[in-house]
Amino acid sequence: MLSQRMNPLRPAAYRGRSLPWLAALACFVFSATASATPANRAAFEQHYDRFLAKELNRCTTCHLPSERKEPKSLAEFPHNAFGKRLHQLGGELTAAGKPSSLAARLALVAKEDSDGDSVPNEVELLLGKNPGDAKDKPPAKELSKASAKQAEFAKFLAAYRWRPFETVQRPAVPVVKNAAWVRNPVDAFIAAEHEARGLKPRPEATKEVLLRRVYLDLTGLNPTPEEQRKFLADTSSDAYEKVVNHLLDDPRHGERWGRHWMDVWRYSDWAGWSGGNQIRDSKPHIWRWRDWIVEALNKDKGYDRMVLEMLAADELAPLDTDALRATGFLVRNFKMLSREQWMEDTIKHTSQAFLGVTVGCAKCHDHMVDPISQREYYQLRAVFDPHDVRTDRIPGQLDTAKDGLVRTFDKKPDQRTHLLIRGDERTPDTNKVMEAGVPFALCGLTSVARTGGKLAVEPVKLPLLAAQPDQREFVFQDTLAASERGLADVREAFAKLKTNSATAPEKLREQELTVVATETKHAALAAVIRAEKFDVAGRKDSDDWKRAATEAVAAQRHQAVVDARLKLHQTQTTLAAALKKAEDGKPAEPKAPAKKGDKPADPEALKKQLADSEKALAAAEKDLSAAPGTAFKPRTVESYPATSTGRRTAFAQWVADTQNPLTARVAVNQMWLRHFGRGIVPTPADFGRNGRPPSHPQLLDWLASEFVTRGWSMKAIHRLLVTSSTYRMASTPDAASAKLDQDNFFLWRMNSRRLEAEAVRDNLLFVCGSLDLAMGGPEIDHNLGLTSKRRSLYLRLAAEKEVEFLKIFDGPAVTECYERRPSVMPQQALALANSELAFTEARRLAKHLATDDDEGFVRSAFAQVLARRPTVEEARLGRDFLAAKPADAATGKDRARENLVLVLLNHNDFVTVR
Amino acid sequence: MGFTGLALGAMLFRDARAAAPSAGLSPSGLPHFAPRAKSVIWIFLCGGVSHLESFDVKPELNKYAGKSIAETPYAKVLETEGKNIIGGNPGHGNRKVIMPLQTGYETYGQSGLVVGDWFKHIGTCADDLAVVRSLWTIHNDHGAQLTWQTGRHPRELEHPTLGGWVSYGLGSLNENLPEYVVLGTPTGDCCGGTFTYGSAYLGPEHGGVRFSTDPKKPLPFIAPPAGSITPAEQLQNLSLLGKLNQLAGIDYPDDQNLRARIKSYELAYQMQASVPETMQLERETEATRQLYGMDRSETKAFGEQCLVARRLVERGVRFVQVFHGGGGGGAWDAHSAIKSNHTNLSTQVDKPIAGLLKDLKQRGLLNDTLVVFGTEFGRTPGAQGDGRDHHPQGFCAWLAGGGIKPGVQHGVTDELGFHAVEDRHYVTDIHATALHQLGLDSHKLEIPSRKRLEMDHGEPIRAIIT
Repeated sequence: MLSQRMNPLRPAAYRGRSLPWLAALACFVFSATASATPANRAAFEQHYDRFLAKELNRCTTCHLPSERKEPKSLAEFPHNAFGKRLHQLGGELTAAGKPSSLAARLALVAKEDSDGDSVPNEVELLLGKNPGDAKDKPPAKELSKASAKQAEFAKFLAAYRWRPFETVQRPAVPVVKNAAWVRNPVDAFIAAEHEARGLKPRPEATKEVLLRRVYLDLTGLNPTPEEQRKFLADTSSDAYEKVVNHLLDDPRHGERWGRHWMDVWRYSDWAGWSGGNQIRDSKPHIWRWRDWIVEALNKDKGYDRMVLEMLAADELAPLDTDALRATGFLVRNFKMLSREQWMEDTIKHTSQAFLGVTVGCAKCHDHMVDPISQREYYQLRAVFDPHDVRTDRIPGQLDTAKDGLVRTFDKKPDQRTHLLIRGDERTPDTNKVMEAGVPFALCGLTSVARTGGKLAVEPVKLPLLAAQPDQREFVFQDTLAASERGLADVREAFAKLKTNSATAPEKLREQELTVVATETKHAALAAVIRAEKFDVAGRKDSDDWKRAATEAVAAQRHQAVVDARLKLHQTQTTLAAALKKAEDGKPAEPKAPAKKGDKPADPEALKKQLADSEKALAAAEKDLSAAPGTAFKPRTVESYPATSTGRRTAFAQWVADTQNPLTARVAVNQMWLRHFGRGIVPTPADFGRNGRPPSHPQLLDWLASEFVTRGWSMKAIHRLLVTSSTYRMASTPDAASAKLDQDNFFLWRMNSRRLEAEAVRDNLLFVCGSLDLAMGGPEIDHNLGLTSKRRSLYLRLAAEKEVEFLKIFDGPAVTECYERRPSVMPQQALALANSELAFTEARRLAKHLATDDDEGFVRSAFAQVLARRPTVEEARLGRDFLAAKPADAATGKDRARENLVLVLLNHNDFVTVR
Repeated sequence: MGFTGLALGAMLFRDARAAAPSAGLSPSGLPHFAPRAKSVIWIFLCGGVSHLESFDVKPELNKYAGKSIAETPYAKVLETEGKNIIGGNPGHGNRKVIMPLQTGYETYGQSGLVVGDWFKHIGTCADDLAVVRSLWTIHNDHGAQLTWQTGRHPRELEHPTLGGWVSYGLGSLNENLPEYVVLGTPTGDCCGGTFTYGSAYLGPEHGGVRFSTDPKKPLPFIAPPAGSITPAEQLQNLSLLGKLNQLAGIDYPDDQNLRARIKSYELAYQMQASVPETMQLERETEATRQLYGMDRSETKAFGEQCLVARRLVERGVRFVQVFHGGGGGGAWDAHSAIKSNHTNLSTQVDKPIAGLLKDLKQRGLLNDTLVVFGTEFGRTPGAQGDGRDHHPQGFCAWLAGGGIKPGVQHGVTDELGFHAVEDRHYVTDIHATALHQLGLDSHKLEIPSRKRLEMDHGEPIRAIIT
């Protein structure tokens, strides 16, 4: 199967799933209880694989044709004898609590003869004859070929089958000859392939190489010379394990792997233009999600919980502001210019990141190669259609443009999702409303399989403070504090005017009235907040509330009077000035063009305004004596729906279900990829038929099972992988193994790799002693990439806002980055040889390493920059370089040392992990 | 810059490189037979240019506009028998109502080439072109962009591009510039991304190097900060670096990345002077700049790229890959409003490409420079709203210069441009043709452990070779 799938040029592989197949599927109307689902068909095809004759890869293998010309439902396609038997067996097995997958049923009916033509089902299937049609039977001479085919097919069935869309069945750990090499089960799976292929694992890497490898892998930073000495001196049997434990506990680990997961989860800061109204992609303050990722990894929060929080924290933990940050995963897809694109990205990348399937194709038509229908695509869309993003206040900052918690919520719980014909938003199929669901073929043994992929959605009643975030205590306090600050400001201004003898009396009077107005406004606000607090506490209509509400009404009436007085005064002043100007014969033209809201200078208009102001004041004063009431005017606050659909929760629970076929597989593969340089499935975001098959399917399945067993602990998997013998191998070549497996597909050695962009920059700063290890906080301007000393994951990354230095080293693509593809380019040489950053840091380290003897300097520089001792020859070259006559009169010893450090920063070993 | 001892620097590095063992059977850098061309300018239009309205004009589409294909006398074009269709467009079930040509057309030159009005300028070069009208490819989506470059389906990930093979097979004519340069925005990640100018197992030293045409900043970090280092020091540093890298590589003799890194430092050092010099387009005459459309805003960007392409081949670069409309699925992907889409985009490229051909010709460079104009697939004769869908089973490209027969048309699609029907060519036949003109036989370049299929090699299209 491997070789077949790796060769895409076989026309049959295409024809097998071209038009007739899709057209045939289209004739089946979906029904949860029906058996001829696309998944059953896929399972049938998968079971027989290349042994399935083309003429049998169609509906009529199990069904009779419909008698009507235009069949309306699946009921018109009754089973033939073979299909009937499969169907019946399904019921029996389920009732008996046994696995009832189609594969299991096909195995059971293999020797039976469903159509009674005295040829067993399997023989008929292998010879291209219909096992449900007695008239279609192989001629006698064909039958003689059957046993050879059956033997071949039996061998095929016995081999491990990669079934990424079926729930993981934990494979047994193989027993291998090279048992001494096996440190943990990972090695057993790897060794089994070595032995099957005649590959010889490379010996363990030297301690220096291994230490640097694991440091860079787990924290992204070199071991310091002190750490190198300590490890080299530690001869205890668990010296390496101690280092691993130490590194996994280091907060740098969360930053290192946080950046990896930011790739997979498509982290992006906001893109667009400042000014607030042109935020085109993602949202400001999304860095809180990045901090959540780093913290979650450091705390070793379960991956399942991380998935739940990223997709639905607003439903699962609506008041937990820490967890709400996680929904940045969805916020990131925000697209100002197109809701359609926003939804498309959300579905596409949620599926690729967590499930490793490309559902995007099914927006316009049924997926061509994976069993995902267009209808199912829109069922997924129904999960996300109601959601939107918003920015909640955070303590100490009322202006959400400046800072806030950006998060997800269901804005339109009643939003209907329709299938878009050919994916075109202009042609929704409004006959049907799509219900939230997931592709049936991906359900595995999750409970969702029983409902044909339809999610069991429970609406979530949100706590008051989740829907009314401005009723939170800190918002009350911050609002009052801001009001108090405003009050202090106007009082201060009044005091200043009073001491200034040049102040015009009407100006002074205006400020005096402003002070009174602000005081009254503040008092009214305080009264309103008192009343609202009783409301929040569930005591609306209590006596306390009534008292507070009555006070609020009184305060607001008082405020109206004071405001009206101020307004009257202002109008009087303006009118007086205008009249005076008119008397002086000057045209009453404003100097600047009149802005909206400016007072008209026309005396007649002003006179009318004066009359209005007088009337308003009179009305306000009259209101003062009105009967007391409780109908105060509430504050203007953000208000959101009180219920959430619960769809994302149901979806997230399915993703994070221990029985989900893909979630754990995809996650461990992502981890493997970053430890070993290539995924077990080489296409980490495509586990479907367009992806490439795994090198070690059993190992991946075992790891997925182990991941779930260990409570989805990522640190447990990291520990398992980096302490394996596989990981500890040298990356040096071996001619014999290279001949058998040139690409090291079966890991007979460790892969050498180039450091990712961020690690190049971070490590450069680190080894030269400049790295600022402060964690978290708002993203740093991308233009400061060469001057900031913070770790690279804190630098802004968004469309058109990228750090050039990182881009040159193949930094993450903003749109998607499931895997880095490191290159070797002259631009990288220029960046490390010519950048101000490299010069500054080299200078700094050279100064720091100052010693008297050249030999000592060379040794220290190697330890610091390359985390190893120089060889005799390298040390000699270094000494000679320092001792050589300066190339230029202007340069001396210090300069030569700076240059030596610069050379080591440009050394291939600096950017390479061996 | 004022570097001294450039030759010394280059020499030191070459020593280090020679000592670093090579991957597989390294070719001699000499052609296998007498070459007709020294360099290739490989223009690639991303997204799928309509063959029907460019260089394979089908007037029958106007005649039968609005009719379904089955209603025309050409219903048989839908038959696939004997056409070896792999990965055709199944969506054609819905694209059978014929859409008329969305632009006019004219006959050009002595060769009588019919060209759609979107490419009027290139039309005036008709007598220099060899149009191949019978191409087909294996992928119905924009992953075919990768197929055009490597011959492989995107599902197979990375394989050497044609540019990679050329770099591997011939090496450089100029130690100061990369063998393989990439201009413009390449294919998006969806559809091949960096693989579309990569070199896969040939090693990263044979991958394409992206240049910006911005003369102020052709490459970042092109010069060290003022006063930070003297040229003499820089040379000493690079010499030490070369020796250290060579020593560190002893344990890793098969490390292609190390080889590539050593080479990248050598190149980077030389490029500090050579790249800014190459990008000095202001040194060109006004007439030349106008020829490339650099005086007009809509043609300026692509005109600059075409002019830089000429300057690169003049300086000995072997393979210049010029992308237009890259990123995402590609700009030319006119599923809707093909008229405005192709009108706008062809305006950007038509004059500059014609300018490039004329300029190469007037300088005598066209004799040993092969220019190839390609796209990943054509577009359906049937309408998709007011656009056309992907069409992998019949499309066209053209070649010019470098010993290619001028003014010929080769291969035929059926009357509606649906299937390539005569002299069908898979995309690697274009690769084989280009390699042939460079004097290379791809079979001889093959690395023994990297078995290639015959389909990967392709066959030179003899009918268009002089």
